[in-house]
Amino acid sequence: MHPLKKNRPLRRIVLASAVTASGLVLLLALKPHTTPAIAVAPAPASSNSGTGSGGSSTTGTKTVTGDTAQTQWGPVQVKITVKSGKLTDVTVLQSPSENPRDQEINSYALPELKSEALAAQSASIDTVSGATYTSDGYRQSLQSALDSAGL
Amino acid sequence: MTTTLAGGRAARRQTMRRIRPRRSPATLLLLAVWAGAVGVLWLWWHNTPSIADQNGKILNAGRITGLLAGYLMALVVLQMARVPALERRVGSDRVARWHAMSGRYTLCLVFAHVFLIMWGYALQAGKTLSDIVQQTIDSVNQLPDMGKAAIGTGLFLLIGLSSIGGIRRRLPYDLWYHVHLLTYAAVFFTFWHQITTGNDFALTPIAKTVWYGLYGTVTALVVWYRILTPIRLNMRHRMRVEAVIEETPGIVSVLIGGRKLHRMGAEAGQFFRWRFLAPGMRFSSHPYSLSAAPRPNMLRITVKAIGDHSARLRELRPGMKVWAEGPYGALTSQRRTRGKVLLVAGGVGITPMRALFETLPGAAGDITLLYRANTTQDLALWDELAKIADERGARLMYAVNSPDGERPDISADSLRRKLPDIDNHDVFMCGPPGFAQSVYEALRGAGVPARRIHHESFEM
Repeated sequence: MHPLKKNRPLRRIVLASAVTASGLVLLLALKPHTTPAIAVAPAPASSNSGTGSGGSSTTGTKTVTGDTAQTQWGPVQVKITVKSGKLTDVTVLQSPSENPRDQEINSYALPELKSEALAAQSASIDTVSGATYTSDGYRQSLQSALDSAGL
Repeated sequence: MTTTLAGGRAARRQTMRRIRPRRSPATLLLLAVWAGAVGVLWLWWHNTPSIADQNGKILNAGRITGLLAGYLMALVVLQMARVPALERRVGSDRVARWHAMSGRYTLCLVFAHVFLIMWGYALQAGKTLSDIVQQTIDSVNQLPDMGKAAIGTGLFLLIGLSSIGGIRRRLPYDLWYHVHLLTYAAVFFTFWHQITTGNDFALTPIAKTVWYGLYGTVTALVVWYRILTPIRLNMRHRMRVEAVIEETPGIVSVLIGGRKLHRMGAEAGQFFRWRFLAPGMRFSSHPYSLSAAPRPNMLRITVKAIGDHSARLRELRPGMKVWAEGPYGALTSQRRTRGKVLLVAGGVGITPMRALFETLPGAAGDITLLYRANTTQDLALWDELAKIADERGARLMYAVNSPDGERPDISADSLRRKLPDIDNHDVFMCGPPGFAQSVYEALRGAGVPARRIHHESFEM
């Protein structure tokens, strides 16, 4: 634009705001609303490098403890319950809880991670917003537990 | 008393080269900027498989605005790094305008980001918008590098407020300038939380590398071109005031001497940012155009003594040290596309035009200068201009108010009458904004295409 063309600052401001706002709305709207469920094919009984300790087997139910994942905020470790080849429960054994913020994050992040894991039946779950490191650690520990359990 | 500088025939000979109009890299740069923005948005897109609910939308909007703000902030600083490619090819005035616009937009993004993220966090923890203040306090205390980010945001608020038109006009220039310099600190403080708290940087390590690269490069350029290059320039050329001459009442010329000044590569039409190391003038730097072709041992500037800084120039004494940064500006003969050139000068805008009048290559009849001033008394440097016009066979015209104060008629018709082939001219203009605007319209009316009208204005 030639610098001497009539300068209309108000028009520029309105245009910039409108484009930014509509761009944001568009980007957000284009994302799907539910977490995609990923089907997991059952793996052979002998799994790969999972050093998690196997648990007791009671009529098709077994519990497996995953590795401790170290995150910036502290360790995360989960224990899974598997019934007839299906993931039925995830318990958190360790999670960062040093300060009130960590506890606050855990209070909403852990339940959400658990429900996502059960829905996806795998460790391919989304990060919970605002709980980046906890989600990362959760995923790692969960994956190692799943590997040990042969899922 | 007037200075008379011998016609710059030698200078003209040096610049006799084929007219090869250089296109401004502005379009290419804008494309690169947009490409970068797309890359930044893609980063968010890639890291966000889905958005759970309305709360998630607000938080993600906060993330997008944060990413864009972080990206643009680096570019805002880059524009003021005085990179020669920008200052001389795109033009200092144009880059300054871009900086003002993109700076305001980026600050709006920053504040939107803070609001949306804090609201998003509050919603996530089951609270509501009214808890946003408490949420902000908590986040600042608990998340990494957020204390710094809070300080930086506070600085941005101060800087933003000081630059709002109405407030800025009320502040003394030096105060506004020093508040504005705090931008460097604000950027420094807010940079770190992006890397350590940013969701997208945690998920994509390569993004961290790119961010460090971006900010590292901008920092290096700022240090190189705003700190190191001026030091080297001034140590090499050691400029000093040679003489101060009053051309007409109210218009002062300063002759500046030094070593090997031609090695600075200054061209007619360009300006330097001058800092005179004299009491009261040390802490401010002002741009003044060269008012004659640069010579190996002398530069000249001609300034209208209005405003507290320029009036002080009369107090300069020979021998006083001068600290200069430059050369800057794109209003040079390199913009020329035609054999015929019209130079239009309004008031003190004669300075770069006087330099161009002396050095623009051209045969007799090719170059015309139109000088607009209030009265014939205000036609500074007139004797020199007449001499140059005489030597070169160039046309020299002036337009002043009539004795009863009536303004001269500079319109499309009068221009066409004076220069019938004006639509085949390149026009270089310099003058006060109102004058420049009306002359621009007259030129367009007379059939001169916009791309042949070259102009420099520092109005924001």
